[in-house]
Amino acid sequence: MIRGEARVATNCQTIQEMLTENGGGLEHLDGAESRHLEVCPGCREVAAAEKALGLLFRKAIPPADPVVEERVLAALRPVRIRRRIVAFLPVAASLMVALVGAVMVGGVPGSGILGLLPEFSTQGWMAFATGVSDWGSAVATGARAASTTLDPAVLAGAGLVSIFGLLGVVLTALRWRRVSLWRDDR
Amino acid sequence: MAVTEKTRQLSDERLVELSLDGDEGAFGVLVRRYERRLTAFLSQLVGDIELARELSQEAFVRAWSALERFNPKYRFSTWLFRIAHNLGIDQLRRRRLLTTPLYRTDSEGGEVEVVVPDLDKDPLGHLENRVLASELREVIDGLRPEYRELVLLRHFGGLSYQEIADFTKMPLGTVKNKLFRAHSVLRKALTDFL
Repeated sequence: MIRGEARVATNCQTIQEMLTENGGGLEHLDGAESRHLEVCPGCREVAAAEKALGLLFRKAIPPADPVVEERVLAALRPVRIRRRIVAFLPVAASLMVALVGAVMVGGVPGSGILGLLPEFSTQGWMAFATGVSDWGSAVATGARAASTTLDPAVLAGAGLVSIFGLLGVVLTALRWRRVSLWRDDR
Repeated sequence: MAVTEKTRQLSDERLVELSLDGDEGAFGVLVRRYERRLTAFLSQLVGDIELARELSQEAFVRAWSALERFNPKYRFSTWLFRIAHNLGIDQLRRRRLLTTPLYRTDSEGGEVEVVVPDLDKDPLGHLENRVLASELREVIDGLRPEYRELVLLRHFGGLSYQEIADFTKMPLGTVKNKLFRAHSVLRKALTDFL
């Protein structure tokens, strides 16, 4: 093979690779490559075949399903509900703890709260009330002891911190913001 | 939620950010942007257009569920196609366990698997030219597996060479070379239709 032939062969390979990548399009070829194409029937044939092949593949893609977006978004609903439930679990737990705490220290009348609950079993609710009452007595005693030893301002501050903390948890759950594991700016 | 024209023109990365903030409309734009290509890719992978549509839907739901794990350093398209590809491969494995292949003996005495096409499920069933559909199916199925995957990603998935390189974790030069070889085979086999 003479030197010129080897060069043409290399050029053909390079140009045909480019033609393959660009679906037979000539816009990515520079001046020398375009000139090569003018004199090389093999490369011109590849360019035409690549164009036709691209067209053929475009035809082979099945038509879009018009309702797919709707179906996917509908399928996201259960996922969203599950996520919200999970997000609200800490809120529900916090509310429960706050409520039981309030009942125990006497801030909310326990019998009044129990009166609002459905009556599924009198004995069940009585057992629950007794449990709360026992724990309530212990915690109320502790709270009274704390109020005699701690500064009322400190106690009031602790109460405010608790309220704002709870509010923070509720707002975070309401916002339900998904945090990317890979982004630093969140 | 109404999706504005401006939202439709946003980049994949921005749409992912909006989706992370709970904007389902933004995710809907991503669905519309990729649904056709994803279904086309999957239909060639599993050989069943209806199944491909189901898998495509499942891929989007999985992508949504795992969106916070998506690393924006990579392309969304590559990540989505990876999810879909895994679903397709799982489906093929499951089907292989549930079905028994049929074989016939060819002229040289070797066993050839008989593929019984179901036109309702044929991924190329929409092509009016049945001879072309059959020929194209045969040529794609006959490609070497490493070429076949690249051809599916390129022409049915519509991925760029760089995206294919990211997807397959191959150097870009290797992708170019393999696709060039695959195209040489395709051009030769489909001469009558080009």
